[in-house]
Amino acid sequence: MARQTERTLTVRVVRSGGFAGISREWSTRCNPGEEDELRPLVEACPWHRVPPADTLSRDRFVWRIEVRGAMRRSATVPDAALEGPWRALVQRVQERSER
Amino acid sequence: MAHGIVPPYLLVRISRLDDARFARAATAAARSLAHDEPLRAARLRFTFGGDDEIVAELVDAPHRTICDADELEILPGRVVRREGDDPTGDRATDEAYDGLGATFALFSEVFERDSIDGAGLPLDATVHYGRLYDNAFWNGQRMVFGDGDGEILRRFTSSLTVIGHELAHGVVQYTAGLVYRGQSGALNESVSDVFGALVEQYQADQTVDEASWLIGAGLFTDEVEGAALRSMAEPGTAYDDDVLGRDPQPAHMDDFIETDEDNGGVHLNSGIPNRAFVLAAKALGGRAWERAGQIWYDALLSPIPARIDFAGFAAATHRAAQQRYGEASREADAVLEGWSGVGVEFDGAPD
Repeated sequence: MARQTERTLTVRVVRSGGFAGISREWSTRCNPGEEDELRPLVEACPWHRVPPADTLSRDRFVWRIEVRGAMRRSATVPDAALEGPWRALVQRVQERSER
Repeated sequence: MAHGIVPPYLLVRISRLDDARFARAATAAARSLAHDEPLRAARLRFTFGGDDEIVAELVDAPHRTICDADELEILPGRVVRREGDDPTGDRATDEAYDGLGATFALFSEVFERDSIDGAGLPLDATVHYGRLYDNAFWNGQRMVFGDGDGEILRRFTSSLTVIGHELAHGVVQYTAGLVYRGQSGALNESVSDVFGALVEQYQADQTVDEASWLIGAGLFTDEVEGAALRSMAEPGTAYDDDVLGRDPQPAHMDDFIETDEDNGGVHLNSGIPNRAFVLAAKALGGRAWERAGQIWYDALLSPIPARIDFAGFAAATHRAAQQRYGEASREADAVLEGWSGVGVEFDGAPD
């Protein structure tokens, strides 16, 4: 049973930085049978080509995305590069987290 | 002294004046006319000359362009107000325009710095960036302002300290280039807060005791228990809310925060140098931009490494105070008092 819990797909998103310096966090855990909703979004992200840190901007958000359980991935994505599959994943996690 | 708008045809006439009394004005007008982009306005300073003649002199003037992103996250957006244009009626646009003007005025009139780069760089800003976007930032070229989410944060142009803060990031980029990570990153943040606060104080002509020393006052909605995003005088006390928690800024080196988030806590540990500035300014009294602000500005322009730590910057401000006001001056002592009040010790400080 513990093994099954360990392999449940979870995604955690932490947004830090920003002018206010107030961190926000969203996370979601897939119940059995729900993985199809998140797994394609996770797999669509280019985890081996994470955008480089934004060294020119000041006060911008920094996004830390961590996938655990059935898959294990992590990336730190600058706000300016949060687009395409990264944005789709983050938005889905935010929606599920706020349900 | 009075300020006026100078139309381009008058600039041409002034630039052609062949009179020693107006040599500076003629040079300034010629320089303005030679700018790459058309000059839409300039400011005139009127003073009385030796023979009670009125002398008109061109002084540095901002060159502002405000764009509207129409709630998309695409820059720059469409131009909605250029330099010299009348107010648009859109609050964010007009607040950004006026705020950039107020910030330009502080740097120009107090520190004799002509815009962000010291050479008249145009001031570009974008408002209405993103949907419910609760942030404002400097992207290396322009200032960008979101409208806030409306639940926790209001539009970011509503506080002059925020606009001054963003423009100051540009000034730091063109001067000390403080690396945005760890202690040098927290100093980058702190210097922006210092000048953001000074813009507001200069505009309102406030003394150190009249000033609120709050950054982003009024940005929180009525739902949040908090006065501002940060308190420079009392870091850690700006808000205390059920949802947001308590303002996490430290006010002393004993409470320095080690973290990987937020580029190593640049918006957290900035509380320490922020309070050092306020303590130094209060020790001197009067108006903070006149001496404490000048010392911090001098330090920023002095040869300091981009990865400088708190102690290194403290030493730079102390040297700057000694150079401008004298080795054993009241100003140099006030700087020492400021840094020792937050537990920052440095080489050159008395034991």
